[in-house]
Amino acid sequence: MAAYVSMGEAHRRITEYLTRFSDAVSYQDGQSLSRLLSVSSNSPALLSLADALNTYQDANRIIRQSEKYSQYTDILVPIFRALQSYRLRNLVEAYVAFEKVSNAFIQEFRNWESAWALEALYVIAYEVRILAERADIELASIGKTPEKLKGAGSFLMKVFGVLAGKGAKRVGALYVTCQLFKIYFKLGTVHLCRSVIRSIETAKFFDFEEFPDRDKVTYMYYTGRLEVYNENFPAADHKLSYALAHCNASKEANIRMILKYLIPVKLSIGILPRTTLLEKFNLTEYSDVVLALRRGDLRLLRHALQEHEDRFLRSGVYLVLEKLELQVYQRLVKKIYIIQKQKDPNKAHQIKLDVIVKALKWLEMDMDVDEVECIMAILIYKNLVKGYFAHKSKVAVLSKQDPFPKLNGKPVNS
Amino acid sequence: MADRNHQPQKPITNRRDKFSSDSNQSKSHNPKPSNPISNCRNDTVSAHQDFPALMGSCPFMCPVEERIRRERLRDLSVLERLHGNPAKTSPTLAVKKFCRTISTREMQASDLRPIPVLESTLNYLLNLMHSEDHPFEVVHDFIFDRTRSIRQDLSMQNAVGDRVIHMYERMVKFHIVSRHHLQRSCGTPNAVSLYHLNAEQLMKSLTTLLNLYEANRADSHSTFLQSEAEFYSHYLLLHLDSKNQGEPLSLWLRRIPSPIMKSREMRFARRILRYYRMGNYKRFIHTTENEASFLQYCIIEPYINEVRILALSCISYGGYKMQAYPLVQLSKILMMEESEVENFCTDCALETSSDGATGKGLMSTKQLVVNKFSSGPHKKDNLSNLLHQLIPLVVKMGEAFVVDSYPRSRRYVC
Repeated sequence: MAAYVSMGEAHRRITEYLTRFSDAVSYQDGQSLSRLLSVSSNSPALLSLADALNTYQDANRIIRQSEKYSQYTDILVPIFRALQSYRLRNLVEAYVAFEKVSNAFIQEFRNWESAWALEALYVIAYEVRILAERADIELASIGKTPEKLKGAGSFLMKVFGVLAGKGAKRVGALYVTCQLFKIYFKLGTVHLCRSVIRSIETAKFFDFEEFPDRDKVTYMYYTGRLEVYNENFPAADHKLSYALAHCNASKEANIRMILKYLIPVKLSIGILPRTTLLEKFNLTEYSDVVLALRRGDLRLLRHALQEHEDRFLRSGVYLVLEKLELQVYQRLVKKIYIIQKQKDPNKAHQIKLDVIVKALKWLEMDMDVDEVECIMAILIYKNLVKGYFAHKSKVAVLSKQDPFPKLNGKPVNS
Repeated sequence: MADRNHQPQKPITNRRDKFSSDSNQSKSHNPKPSNPISNCRNDTVSAHQDFPALMGSCPFMCPVEERIRRERLRDLSVLERLHGNPAKTSPTLAVKKFCRTISTREMQASDLRPIPVLESTLNYLLNLMHSEDHPFEVVHDFIFDRTRSIRQDLSMQNAVGDRVIHMYERMVKFHIVSRHHLQRSCGTPNAVSLYHLNAEQLMKSLTTLLNLYEANRADSHSTFLQSEAEFYSHYLLLHLDSKNQGEPLSLWLRRIPSPIMKSREMRFARRILRYYRMGNYKRFIHTTENEASFLQYCIIEPYINEVRILALSCISYGGYKMQAYPLVQLSKILMMEESEVENFCTDCALETSSDGATGKGLMSTKQLVVNKFSSGPHKKDNLSNLLHQLIPLVVKMGEAFVVDSYPRSRRYVC
């Protein structure tokens, strides 16, 4: 709700903002400048300014009045419009105006010598994304195509280009990259991440270690997720583990996000998390999956996948979890082996296929002996089981040494 | 960098608003703000999103100008010739060709066919599938090109709606059926290239179709068409081997609405995917035989031999080396006639031997089948030929083998 403001008070607030702006630039005060640009933050100062602008209606005249302000016309005129629109909940207008602010800001930013304004640039990048997201929601609600976020992505690519190069400003590139990741993931245009990743990882002037920790964690989180989707488990493990290790221990929500993807990766390379971990970070959707792996309980795995199907599909880990079936089979056969060993150690390494059929029936899984033979053949082929199977006698003969090789941090052979 | 700062503030306009009121099209829908056809990367027209949508007015299958020009240049397909005359055609025979280098600037309304004309053109083209007068490759090539032109006309008019969706569905079916027929004739180099081109256009038209479904859902507030699930399942089956193709499946699955995910067709496709990824050759082959529709079979077909090779690899790798694995059993699992199995084994450089009472069997070898291919003289060709051999799925009825009952003729209704 816009509050009532007198004309005099409105004039005062507007002038105060303009002074703060020009002072921030003159004294190279990045922090103050960034506060003046965060439209979506709903800070009291900006809210009261927006009310003032909606009252005064001709703030542009004030800008023109003084050289101190008019040199930044290209930024100030649209930021006023953005603030006004945002206050009145015209989100599309707010975005369109803010895009102009951003373009003008970048022009100035290029000319400023040092990297003093990086913090303000971060705010610009963040606001561009957030305002675009909100504008798209408004567009969708009135039946129009949401395309502002896509535009925001294009703009940020330009910003990335400005930052990529020698000089102190390049340290900001990773933050912009992360904003781009967030946009591309939201839009589903994940393939566009590739070119930014290539720039970060191969360009000679980027030294990954000199980027701020917070950005490195975010970067590794997103690129780790991409590796999960592409099922490159060793790479995914490396990146997500990095993110986990460097993540601030107090940011539990972030740790949870990383673990959500890291756990399926670890499961795929044979490493099971402890129940306490799952409970601490509220990831109990994985509990039954882990239990199924421990027990060799195929029914439980299938049931867990079904129960949380929507959630796993949405996060994109469903196919990864489904593939754990082979490891569950391995565990089941191993349990049969262990039981047989207790009864008669000399004969334990021979497992009748019928026994496996029976075990599966007990788990309510209906499989004939042909299929069991097929499963055994696959397990042997993929080195989850060492031994051979004899079709005539319908028996699997395990190797006496290490019949169930551990994965040892490597995914199952494709 | 765009100089947007200096443009006067403009209210946001929907570019379509300027044109939809001008349209006189009676039956089809008004063009929507953003066209799913033009949104995807078709090779049709460049930058036509910046231009107004044209309303086609050509009443013939082929614009008069083009027909006369091609008569003069003798650029007529065999199927367009009047009484076999290479320089004469007629309005009932000539169909507009696909043009790679067209731009909307050059396009006139009289060159574009409106939706009713496109529908009857499509009817005419698909009926040609039944013609036995020409070899299949010739017929396919003609329909292939002319339907591409239909899609081009639709794209340039930014056409959307139920009728457009139905046309795309029929064209996708055409490509699927062609996939099957071209696979049979994959001996000649021409057929191989037709096969690959067909695969490319199948993917493009199917992707566009899925975008049309999405747009349709957005417009009509989430009513699903009955046919949607089927075509989503086709997409999934086309991406069984998702490593080589663009977007990872895990990402694609995220976007699928829940009702479609739970449909019978999608559940079938997901099971096939699971068997494929797991290497469960027995279920892959048998489920395909038992449950796949004709179209689904056509899509899965190229993978069947790949899975058979995997089966032979597993069995020869893990089988008891003192006993040959009976070919009879192999023929049952792989759904091939025994004689075919024997040939297939030989082609995979695997030895068979006679075991006296039990008949012929596959000799076990610890060498991986795939490695044998990479060491032979014609390496890739051998494997590729083997994969493309059309060995149908057979079911043993009593003592006889019965080829699966799918209609092999081209008469499948598109």
